[in-house]
Amino acid sequence: MATTVLEPTRAAPRSNWRQSGAWMPVLGVGALLVWLVVVPLILLLISSVRPTGFPTDPGFTLQHYVDTYTDRRFWELAGNTAIFAVGSTLFALLIGITLAWLVERTDMPLKGLVRTMIILPMATPPVLLAIAWVMLLSPRTGEINALLSALFGFEDAVFNIYSLTGMIFVEGLSLVPSTFLILSPAFRNMDPSLEEAAMVSGAGIGTLLRRVVLPLLTPAILAAGVFLLIVGFVVFDIPGAIGLPAGIFTLSSRIYYLAHENPTGLPDFGQISAMAIFFLGGLILMAFGYQHYTRRASRFTTITGKGFRPRSFKLRGWRWPAFAGAAFYFTLAVLAPLAILLWTSFMPYQTGISADAVGLLTTDNHETFFSNRFAVRATTNSVTIALVAATVVALVSLLVSWIVVKSKAPGRKVIDILSFMPLAIPGVLIGLALIYVYLTVNFLPIYGSIWIIVIAYITTYLSFGSRTTHGVMLQIHNDLEDAARTSGAGWGRTMRRIVVPLAAPAIAAVWVWVLAHCMRELSSALMLQGRTNETLPVLLYGYWTGGEPNKAAAVGVWLILALLIVVGVWQFLTRRREA
Amino acid sequence: MDSMLAVRDLVMDYPLDRGVHRALKGIDLDVRPGEFFTLLGPSGCGKTTTLRSVAGLEVPTGGSIAIAGQTVFSAEGGRVVPANKRDISMVFQSYAIWPHMSVGENVAFPLKAMRQAGPQVRQRVALALEMVGLGDYLDRPATQLSGGQQQRVALARAIVKDAKLLLLDEPLSNLDAKLREQMRVELRDLQSRLGTTTLYVTHDQEEALSLSDRIAVMKDGEVVELGTPQELYLRPRHRFTAQFIGQAQVFPCTPLGANGAGYRVDTPLGQLTAGVNADQGDRASHLVIRPEHIQVEPAAPGEATSGDNIVAGEVVAVSFSGKLVEYRIRAAGTELLVQNLSTSLIQAGDAVSLRIPVERCVLLGG
Repeated sequence: MATTVLEPTRAAPRSNWRQSGAWMPVLGVGALLVWLVVVPLILLLISSVRPTGFPTDPGFTLQHYVDTYTDRRFWELAGNTAIFAVGSTLFALLIGITLAWLVERTDMPLKGLVRTMIILPMATPPVLLAIAWVMLLSPRTGEINALLSALFGFEDAVFNIYSLTGMIFVEGLSLVPSTFLILSPAFRNMDPSLEEAAMVSGAGIGTLLRRVVLPLLTPAILAAGVFLLIVGFVVFDIPGAIGLPAGIFTLSSRIYYLAHENPTGLPDFGQISAMAIFFLGGLILMAFGYQHYTRRASRFTTITGKGFRPRSFKLRGWRWPAFAGAAFYFTLAVLAPLAILLWTSFMPYQTGISADAVGLLTTDNHETFFSNRFAVRATTNSVTIALVAATVVALVSLLVSWIVVKSKAPGRKVIDILSFMPLAIPGVLIGLALIYVYLTVNFLPIYGSIWIIVIAYITTYLSFGSRTTHGVMLQIHNDLEDAARTSGAGWGRTMRRIVVPLAAPAIAAVWVWVLAHCMRELSSALMLQGRTNETLPVLLYGYWTGGEPNKAAAVGVWLILALLIVVGVWQFLTRRREA
Repeated sequence: MDSMLAVRDLVMDYPLDRGVHRALKGIDLDVRPGEFFTLLGPSGCGKTTTLRSVAGLEVPTGGSIAIAGQTVFSAEGGRVVPANKRDISMVFQSYAIWPHMSVGENVAFPLKAMRQAGPQVRQRVALALEMVGLGDYLDRPATQLSGGQQQRVALARAIVKDAKLLLLDEPLSNLDAKLREQMRVELRDLQSRLGTTTLYVTHDQEEALSLSDRIAVMKDGEVVELGTPQELYLRPRHRFTAQFIGQAQVFPCTPLGANGAGYRVDTPLGQLTAGVNADQGDRASHLVIRPEHIQVEPAAPGEATSGDNIVAGEVVAVSFSGKLVEYRIRAAGTELLVQNLSTSLIQAGDAVSLRIPVERCVLLGG
């Protein structure tokens, strides 16, 4: 019967949000999102049509657009960025899909260990990964190049990290954990009865993979692909650490370059904004594509029930080689970079690993890190920023999800879109737009302080946070909330006593994830760098670009250590939630 | 105060992609104090929407609702009292037991929401749990309960508040058959002990008949008929009621005229006298007979069937289900079903005579 669909117990609740006292949070969250997302974007747009490139200055011009889009170098830049993004996406997908399949659907040995080995690289900030790989693969001093030359007597260096290929390699490595995390539930939740049905119908392994397994996984793989592509387009860390010194630009590093190291000495805000608008358009389109595919992916996985064990594929003789492959990934993503960073951090100057150099071992760099007041301040800044941003993101995400998933408040779709859009805004652009905002408004004098960075991170991570809490909100049955209301509890008490406790594991997971990412995020902090607000990654990047790799390595070692702990806690929370 | 719950001309529109869907088309209800009142109907008939509107979980488009004489919703007056400020409590189909609380915390929640504290709360929680037979479960985590126990906790949580109006949304539909019957008895028991006015929603006609003081039969957003269980079963005025509650065989008929016992109509089974709704016999278009009301006897050989409302027939098929036997019988070229107790059995192919009591023949208008 057609009207059955409209039986409102099954549809979303038509709660009388206006009467329930929920209009305040709805308005509050709406205003906050407008302030965080809409205002910066508008100022960005205005800046692109100002002759001076600064939003409050008078005048109107399209010259920035003309200059930008008729310049051959811009299209070269666009091409490079695309190659970088697509290349690293494909590389990460190749490794990520293989690992997800091995862990979830085969009888590979030591799966728990492998899972940890794949997720731990999240603790390596991309900028450190880049620095470490430069130390390993730079044409002149790269450790691996030197080793290969010594072994086989090559004249020239075998690998050159200062290339698009090199950047794609490192970016791909750093994207594998996210790829794995997006894809492994899809592999795990695939109902084995679908495969069994195909086999009973007479399908062979080839047909089975082609006609049943792959189509079922396609939405999840596409979702992962679009997500990685977006990250590839917006990421700064690796292009900034590897490409920038060698003059190989992608979007983010070019914007940073134009803002900080413009040959004319002044930031060319007008041109930057004109350039940014082009990419923003494309990125926001991709973001909607991502949302589309994730919806389809979840539709595919939620049709299956729980309580089944997926068929596991027998690897036979390939069990240990498969494990070795996973271990090799771990070596590339963590062990080798960490080893070279450790070594370098104990050296007075950059030098290859050798027995001769052991005599040079020194703890100076580490002592500097703990005694230098800049380093101490950077640490305090990083921790403060991370704690505040993580807490705000967790709370706002929860409110956003409640409004979007549970309430019937008008405008909730707008709130959904606004909270999701920052995924597609590069960190350098958020940084740039915030510069406009806080140089324009005078009532919030936070320009150059750590609070402007806090705002940048809140904006950036709101999309991740709210997507995660969306999931848990959908799982909380509407009746649980309605029961509190008919028990006499108002909106506040219902949220405090029912919704928040039920969503607590997800909120905690969001908090820890954001904490970790705030600790490692470089791009917007670098754009917003002032005199006293530098963070650990900014300090590290400063050491690195200032020709002090050993100090950078020492900072990096301690940063990775701290992040390993945070990522460990996050994984623990996430798995407990899934169990 | 003549009614505990007064619903007037309640209208609910849901926006669709194109236009609106009118889920409630002007519902009028009056529930008396202490009454067990049921909304009965197929899924999609609007019964749950009505209940949720009374609870304050949905805001109707039009009409008004008053609980204990106090207007809680009025479309005209623009008045919507939120759910937590209404003098109601509710039991959900899914039970909606909060998994992060113990049994005691679940039941204490409504009292805490009313800003009560201290030994009084403990006392009332213990009493409510005692009443549903879960006196020892105070500290048990809510996740360690069976379906039936969760149902009881939900009930305890609803009665602890001592609200004027108790709302129950298909509370028994997730239980297995045995437990459902047991809970039905306990529920009726509890309600008569507490004397709380109860609004109950179900699609299960048997449940509605055995529990209710009065039933409103709903269909497509309207109340089709309202009455006591006996009225609706034995003297329905609408074909939908007759067919939705119990099994009904409906035959077309043409009115012939009143006689002493009732109203005489012509049917495919021959001429019959109907005793129910005889006052409107001249407008009758259908005759309803329930299978269990027809008495079937082996036809005495050689004896002509005679007398009022006696029809000759032949057994086509027999279906034996223990307590009852169901016969498919061909009579006057029409087939009909007859249900009798299995006290005596008749074989297929046997000639029978059917006695159809006048007071169980129901006439329905067009």
